[in-house]
Amino acid sequence: MFNLIVIIQSIVSGLLIGGIFALLGVGFSLTWGVMKVINIAHAAFGLLASYIAYWGLNLYGIDPILSLFLSLPLLFVTGLFIHRFLIQHITRSKDIIVASMILTFGLAIILENIMLLAWTPDERLITTSYSSKAIFLGDIIIRISNLLGFILSIIGISTIYLFLYHTKTGKAVRATWQDPEGAALQGVNLQKVSMIAFGLAIASSGAGGVALAYMYSFNPPSHNLWLIFLFLVVIVGGVGSIMGSAISGLLIGLITGLSNAFFPMQWINVLLFGLLMVILLIKPEGLFKK
Amino acid sequence: MRKKLFRKIYGFNILIALFLIFYSFGLGIGAEKPIVIGGSLPLTGTFSATGKWVERGYQFWAEEINSKGGLLGRPVKLLIYDDKSDAKEAVNLAEKVITVDKVDLLLGGYPGTACTAVMPVAEKHKMVYVSMGGHMKSFSQGYTYSFGGPPLMGEWWYLGFFEWMKTVPPDKRPKKAAIYTMNNPIGMALMDSIYKGCKELGIEIVIDEKYNLPLTTADPMITKAKQMKADLLFANGMFPDGVMTIRACKALDYSPKAIVQGIGSVIPEWTRELGKDGDYIFSGTSWHYKLKYPGNDKLIRVAKERFKEDEPPLYFGFGYAWMQTLQQGVEGAKSLDQTKIRDWLKLNEVRTIAGNFKFDERGLPKPFIYLTQVINGTVELIWPPDMRTHEPVYPKPPWK
Repeated sequence: MFNLIVIIQSIVSGLLIGGIFALLGVGFSLTWGVMKVINIAHAAFGLLASYIAYWGLNLYGIDPILSLFLSLPLLFVTGLFIHRFLIQHITRSKDIIVASMILTFGLAIILENIMLLAWTPDERLITTSYSSKAIFLGDIIIRISNLLGFILSIIGISTIYLFLYHTKTGKAVRATWQDPEGAALQGVNLQKVSMIAFGLAIASSGAGGVALAYMYSFNPPSHNLWLIFLFLVVIVGGVGSIMGSAISGLLIGLITGLSNAFFPMQWINVLLFGLLMVILLIKPEGLFKK
Repeated sequence: MRKKLFRKIYGFNILIALFLIFYSFGLGIGAEKPIVIGGSLPLTGTFSATGKWVERGYQFWAEEINSKGGLLGRPVKLLIYDDKSDAKEAVNLAEKVITVDKVDLLLGGYPGTACTAVMPVAEKHKMVYVSMGGHMKSFSQGYTYSFGGPPLMGEWWYLGFFEWMKTVPPDKRPKKAAIYTMNNPIGMALMDSIYKGCKELGIEIVIDEKYNLPLTTADPMITKAKQMKADLLFANGMFPDGVMTIRACKALDYSPKAIVQGIGSVIPEWTRELGKDGDYIFSGTSWHYKLKYPGNDKLIRVAKERFKEDEPPLYFGFGYAWMQTLQQGVEGAKSLDQTKIRDWLKLNEVRTIAGNFKFDERGLPKPFIYLTQVINGTVELIWPPDMRTHEPVYPKPPWK
């Protein structure tokens, strides 16, 4: 009985967390896949949304979910500007991946320092009336904050999926990703499409940031830690694959949960990154890349 | 005639100018050269929140001593580099301040990993190094120039808790303990006092697990502790994993007789961010602003006036206390000779805001720790009894 409850609890908690990692990772995967831009500042933008949520909650009593109505458009527009004035200039580079990593690494440092100035290095925690509340299913609990983050994740990933597969612009984004020259010949404005995709990716990081802030405390350098999980989600799921990121996030959560139940807890990271190495050896393009 | 007058005025002006130049030089020569105290702190990166408070403690001490005429009659100047929370960088910067900047005295670093790494550098260059140290291991390497004044010793961290627990009637003591510990040197250092204390009081350890940071979820841990009916929980972590553990306890409605938390619960963020949920958590510390030692009242005032903090943050006090120890070493030795400072510190008692200490050959005072408990949003002193600021709340009330 003891083992079964712990196993189920570990799996449930792991899946909820995995879903949230997926939400943060999906935009990262999109820019990497479509534009060959590895946005090191992706998690820092997510963190910015966490701070906006924190501010909204503590200064005005606004629920973190509602704060997304401010932070998402703000991040989307910021994404457009960054693409127009920074990213576009490096797309002419011979090695966009390396150039983008260097550029966005600098951007991450700038963002981190802005957050340090605005919110100091103190640890912050989003504490709402439901932060420590849970739904009990027998002896198993589902934390309301984790559940909200998970629902946010489903909405966020579905929105991006619907955009990419059921809108004209989304289809243009995919076409650009698959064959940029062909897409251009068909009249697709590559820069405009890339700009929208970048804005969307940055906005999705905001949703991921708020979902993560429900579970974890954060301070300005926290984005570095989140970035590790982003790489894990994207590499396992396959660069550019939206559903791949979603499944990969859940898979990572599941492995974390199962490791909690069956192995000593200090092995979790060994198992997770061991899995990453195995996947890279067997399927270097990721599990779900077509 | 006019030419003569012009020459006279011209010559007089030159004389005045020369006088002023020599006078200024004279002042420069006569003024005391500042004593430069240098080192590094984590001013950015993971440990920057705490590092900045240590820096403020150092700066306040420097301001204070300069306003009183300086150290050995000379003004004090701090040279603090940012090691970006990287122990390797702390080592490089320690070498730099000693060999390039040629500082007169070395500043203590933070956290324990940086101190552990810098202690051999201090020993190599025969420079006195007063800091928190890096737990017992760092003080067992035979270094003679390093001092924990006061130290932050994981091995002593829960001594106060178990000393106080001995005063609780045996039938009311916890029977089963669950121990969750972060898998790093700080976490490992905490284990000594737990194993010893539990054995002495007959508390059975039913769970003893380590986890790597960052902790992804605490729910399964607390589910296990609840299933095992552990009535004493040791959550040996920092702030991020600490708050996750407490929230999981509340979500699962797990209320053991006592929750003892490692490091996170004695920093101001604990009560500010967790609110009422952060109450009744026990921990340890080697400094607290309510300790009845001279100087703490001053720190309370400065923290309030300058930093708008109702309580002086922990590492503000530590920074100040480490400088008090170094100051007394220098004043006692009446010299900047590092060996003389070291010898004086080994033979004499220092008086700090954290207590009065006499150092042994390892540079450590006698084992001591203060037991704290968060009560109504304030970190109160529980043990030793002569320092108590509030009656302990035990057993822990159920979650509301």
